[in-house]
Amino acid sequence: MIDAAVDRAGPVLAVLPESQVLVAETARDWAGGRPGEAGWMPSDADAPAVVFPASVEEVAALIRVANETGARLLPAGLGSWLGAGGWTRAGEVIVSCMRLNAVQHYEPADLTLTADAGLGLTEVEDLLLPNGQWLAVDAPGAGAGTLGGMVACGVSGALQGRYGAIRDNVLGVDVVTGAGRVLRIGGRVVKNVAGYDLVRLFTGSRGSLGIITSVSVRLFPRPEADVTLCYVGGAGEIVALARNVCTSPLPIAAVELEGGRESGETVCRVRLLGSGGEVEEVRSRLVDAAGLKPRQILRADESAALHGDRAAWEEGSALVVRLAALPDRLADTFDRGLALAGALGGEVAADALGGVVRVKASPDAARDEDVAGELSRAREVVEAVGGTMTLSQARGEVAARAGWTGRRGSGTALGDRIKKLFDPASILAARCP
Amino acid sequence: MSAAVDSLASAVRKQEQGLLNCVHCGFCLPACPTYRRLGDEADSPRGRLYLMQAVVEGRLDPGAEAFQTHIGRCLGCRACEPVCPSGVEYGQLLELARQVGGNARRPPVFSRVLLRVFGTAWLARPAMFAGRVARATGLPALLTRIMAGRRPPKGARLAVAMLAASAPPPPLPSRTEDPPATVPRRLDAAKPTVGVLTGCVQAGLFARVNQATVRVLQANGYHVVSVPNQECCGALHAHGGDLEAARSLARRNIVAFEAARVDIVAMNASGCGAAMADYGSLLADDEAMASRARAFAGKVRDISQLLADRGPVPGGTVPLKVTYDAPCHLLHAQGVADPPSRVLDSIPGLEVVPLPGAAECCGGAGIYGLTNPRLGGWIGSDKVQSVLGTGASALVTGNPGCMMQIGAGLALTGAGIPVLHLVELLDESYRRGGLYGNAGG
Amino acid sequence: MVPATLAKSLVGICGRDGVILDEERLLVYESDALTAYRHRPGAVVLPRSTEQVQGAVRAVAEHGLPIVPRGAGTGLSGGAVALDGAVVIGTARMNRILNIDAPNRRAVLQPGVINAELSEAARVHGLYYAPDPSSQTTCTIGGNVAENSGGPHCLKYGVTSRYVTGLAVVLADGSLVKLGGQGRESPGYDLVGLFVGSEGCFGIATEIEVGLLPVPEGVRTLLGIFDRIDDAGQAVSDIVAAGLLPAALEIIDGPTIRAVEDSVFAAGYPTDAEAALVIEFDGMEAGLDHDVERAAVLCERAGAREVRSARDEDERMALWKGRKKAFGAMGRIAPDLLVQDATVPRTTLPSILRGISDIGQRYDLVVANVFHAGDGNLHPNILFDRRDEHELERVERASKEIMQLCVDSGGTITGEHGVGLDKKHHMELIYGPDELDAMWRVRRVFDPGGVMNPGKVLPEDTIPSEDTVLPVGTGGD
Repeated sequence: MIDAAVDRAGPVLAVLPESQVLVAETARDWAGGRPGEAGWMPSDADAPAVVFPASVEEVAALIRVANETGARLLPAGLGSWLGAGGWTRAGEVIVSCMRLNAVQHYEPADLTLTADAGLGLTEVEDLLLPNGQWLAVDAPGAGAGTLGGMVACGVSGALQGRYGAIRDNVLGVDVVTGAGRVLRIGGRVVKNVAGYDLVRLFTGSRGSLGIITSVSVRLFPRPEADVTLCYVGGAGEIVALARNVCTSPLPIAAVELEGGRESGETVCRVRLLGSGGEVEEVRSRLVDAAGLKPRQILRADESAALHGDRAAWEEGSALVVRLAALPDRLADTFDRGLALAGALGGEVAADALGGVVRVKASPDAARDEDVAGELSRAREVVEAVGGTMTLSQARGEVAARAGWTGRRGSGTALGDRIKKLFDPASILAARCP
Repeated sequence: MSAAVDSLASAVRKQEQGLLNCVHCGFCLPACPTYRRLGDEADSPRGRLYLMQAVVEGRLDPGAEAFQTHIGRCLGCRACEPVCPSGVEYGQLLELARQVGGNARRPPVFSRVLLRVFGTAWLARPAMFAGRVARATGLPALLTRIMAGRRPPKGARLAVAMLAASAPPPPLPSRTEDPPATVPRRLDAAKPTVGVLTGCVQAGLFARVNQATVRVLQANGYHVVSVPNQECCGALHAHGGDLEAARSLARRNIVAFEAARVDIVAMNASGCGAAMADYGSLLADDEAMASRARAFAGKVRDISQLLADRGPVPGGTVPLKVTYDAPCHLLHAQGVADPPSRVLDSIPGLEVVPLPGAAECCGGAGIYGLTNPRLGGWIGSDKVQSVLGTGASALVTGNPGCMMQIGAGLALTGAGIPVLHLVELLDESYRRGGLYGNAGG
Repeated sequence: MVPATLAKSLVGICGRDGVILDEERLLVYESDALTAYRHRPGAVVLPRSTEQVQGAVRAVAEHGLPIVPRGAGTGLSGGAVALDGAVVIGTARMNRILNIDAPNRRAVLQPGVINAELSEAARVHGLYYAPDPSSQTTCTIGGNVAENSGGPHCLKYGVTSRYVTGLAVVLADGSLVKLGGQGRESPGYDLVGLFVGSEGCFGIATEIEVGLLPVPEGVRTLLGIFDRIDDAGQAVSDIVAAGLLPAALEIIDGPTIRAVEDSVFAAGYPTDAEAALVIEFDGMEAGLDHDVERAAVLCERAGAREVRSARDEDERMALWKGRKKAFGAMGRIAPDLLVQDATVPRTTLPSILRGISDIGQRYDLVVANVFHAGDGNLHPNILFDRRDEHELERVERASKEIMQLCVDSGGTITGEHGVGLDKKHHMELIYGPDELDAMWRVRRVFDPGGVMNPGKVLPEDTIPSEDTVLPVGTGGD
């Protein structure tokens, strides 16, 4: 069976020159070796190839051949989020867009950027910085990813309350659908209601409908001031403090929590972004109002650097679970996260404004046979109170064992039909939970 | 095309040429009490204008049920006018549309009789007398108490309650510890001569308000003269589409007030005020009267404006918590928003609490409560609930129709909250303040 | 006229007063706020509940008639016009705010709730609903969802789709499907985002969950008066380049200023100016004056004749009132107007404005511009008199040229008004056959039978041929 799948992949690999194809050991190293841990692929045979198309035409050609042969493709950027949309199985070909990495259009005064999907987010940052602008998105793992990968995964970080989720910042995409059609949807203007909003459909579709080849995003001027207040204490008092900050009318950019560490301490980081006068005012009111004194106040580059570091929190994890419920249930959700982290030997991070709690399993626990059982139990509890639970990273064996991608809502039938529409032969191996 | 349709058509065209035409933007929808409750485009100002336009275009027969029902259902509160960015003069078109509708199909006997009575002095006087006699028997008040708390008021129950509500309010509370204020009478060099429209309903059932009007005007330095031979203002006729009757009443009033040589025509009924301020356009096509009508209209002022112009002179303490409901024909039709609150604010001891939805029609709308009992009752009970919600112990307004409509509604709840005319309250303050010569308490 | 059997079942579902069948009473439903299109519906249904909507949809679909959803009828693209005797389902009576969940900053409402009334109701909790289309005092949230409405403040806060977190939707077969809800995190495709802006073609939203924002502590409004519109455009670019993030940046041109000043909404703009730039900042009191000063300096440097700030709340409201009611006030300078809604990259604004002015001159037409300058969202209003046939023809040609000009600069045909009936033939200016084909197929996923608002958004000649239509199931689950 595995051989048959590998056979089907053959013609796909032949589409591109050899220099754009990796197979066997090197392919496995590329995909699995990125954050440093081997063994994410179930076995060598399951990672036959990675291909690196260098043009939209090459992406379309790969898809066309896959439709002819029945080979399955797994869209990727740098491979850092491979665990987010699914996992490789025997005979599947990873299509990395990292060679599609040109900046197509950047006019700073328009506050928009159009670039190839494979452009790295660190390159994007370098491009925008001299113009005092930024992409106001802090997707987990953003540091190691590409623009296209970020859009395809559509997983937003804690800045979403202030600047909108990823989907609110994507203005247009070019995509080659699973059926091989090249679509250019949306545009590079900030307001556009011409036709149905397919941009939103592809954002967060995790590569299950097509391969995104180009992205237009909305930019923001870099705020004048960047300050982070760090509070440290027991989980109960810190979560209560976070909720107080969240429900205050003050303009807060993000409120993040971290817990489940060996020290038993929980950390809350309140980030303030805006004009100097405003940020100083908010800082002084928070320091006066909150019962707890911040242990540390970081400013400017220090504050920005801290968040840059924290963005890497998920990187390299074999298993990250995302629990979400209404923000006023934060205490419960965070407790649930701590309990799960305890069972999986991992840590917890939360976006308090959004009510999202992420749990990262330890590498050992991720290999644990009983991980699926732990997840099921946690999921039942979260869903019972109207929350949701999804796997935002689940690689290889872990994912195979968990075998589950979260609640299927009542819109699922519509979703299935949409999948069939854009990928009728089901050649795209990625899944959207 | 009938003459009435012609005049509607020419008014529509005139507004078009003056670029006051409806651009169909829909901004008037939420301002309209009937649209808010019924949610049907045809019960909105935009929808009604569209129906008028369709009649003008010959696409719709004015006798059609659609035209009759929806034009008939309009309160005429003109709340749509201030929110209209194109400046459509809706009230004027409505009256013409009503005339068109009335010509196409005779209005119900009930409305016709009622209008006839108001418009004919020798019929109105005995009718009002009968009303006062009935009111004096205490029977309406008794019946109202018995009926209190039941279904929303409509039909005969509403009529009885309205009659009861026109009775003078019970004595207002006073603070015994407060010595009566002694305020020097203000004497003004230039004393404008003022004639007061005594009105039909006002004269018949609210004579006390007319008397108070004269007293407070005098206290504020106006020279008040009586104006014999004045008539009903014709507002109800115009609203009902009987424009000929309205014009005839207007002519007679202009002559009467001219003879009395007044500088100002003072109004204490805002429905009448709006109509009389509009005499200029009502008689625009009457060559003999047009310029006289415009001159007359220019003299029309609401009592609250006249009082606010003078301060007004402060009086004695009235320790009462009140709320104020703005009559549509004062606020929307005449654009008089501030003066009533300035009068209220001048009364020592008075606590004024805001009334949610004060700008919305109470459903009285002339004889609306009697002609559209169900919808009028619905709108009216919303107003009553809003008044009760404020916790005020009296409601103040400035139009007899509103006083009776809201008063009836309040009486039927059994809450015992009186409805006062603005000048009644000021008059009481002046009496307590000793402005009329004898110190009260 | 609908068949008697349908009339009877509709009355059975929505009651006698919930169904309008009389030809003459249906007249008023011929148009929305774009009166160029007049089509009388077969019937109008005014349901009060989701169940009544489901029942009505099912009954109409069974009779093979099309359905057109309608909110307040304030749309400017003919989206609520009933073609081919369609049955209009109006949401005016579904106007209850079901829940304001202050701790989670969200609200659940029926579609007929008026935009501004939601903000009013939320204000006691210190919250408000951010998207504020110019018609916010009258337009409904259901209509906002259908059109993905914007407004002056979306420069900083984004458009409707950013705030819609959940929907209950009645599909064309009468089934009810719940999308998202309980906040924004929900697994699967972003069907909520896909539905927002679908212009009534995917279904009828009968329950809408939206996010609310805390009311900013302070607001400052500035008005820059310019003798040249280019200078106003330059000031906008400079403000953005300086890293300032105003809540709104609006330009009102000379002809519009004069129309507004002539209406009941006169805001005190000088009538001899060629552009008024309204700049608004909101946020903490502490930072505002600093921002305002910087913006004022930038305006002066760009050539403003005068810069003033609203001294109090009344003045501020008056400044905005003039801007927001500009569309209605246009009625004061011509009997008819055609409103366009193109968005262009902000940096192309000065050249586009010159181009529009040239086109106006060439066709001897007055074009008045009101626009969201910060977003590059233009509203050129072409003023005309439809009774003059020659002028009407010039209007159509000028309109098309303006549209082409905007598209060529990298812009789009509609920024917030929607495509509707009016702009569906302009869709091919920005999309090729493959994109239109994809949109048709997505539409068919929600509405396999083509029942919902047919004849809108997509040009009929781009319908995918039957043999290539993929098999789809019926209804949702």
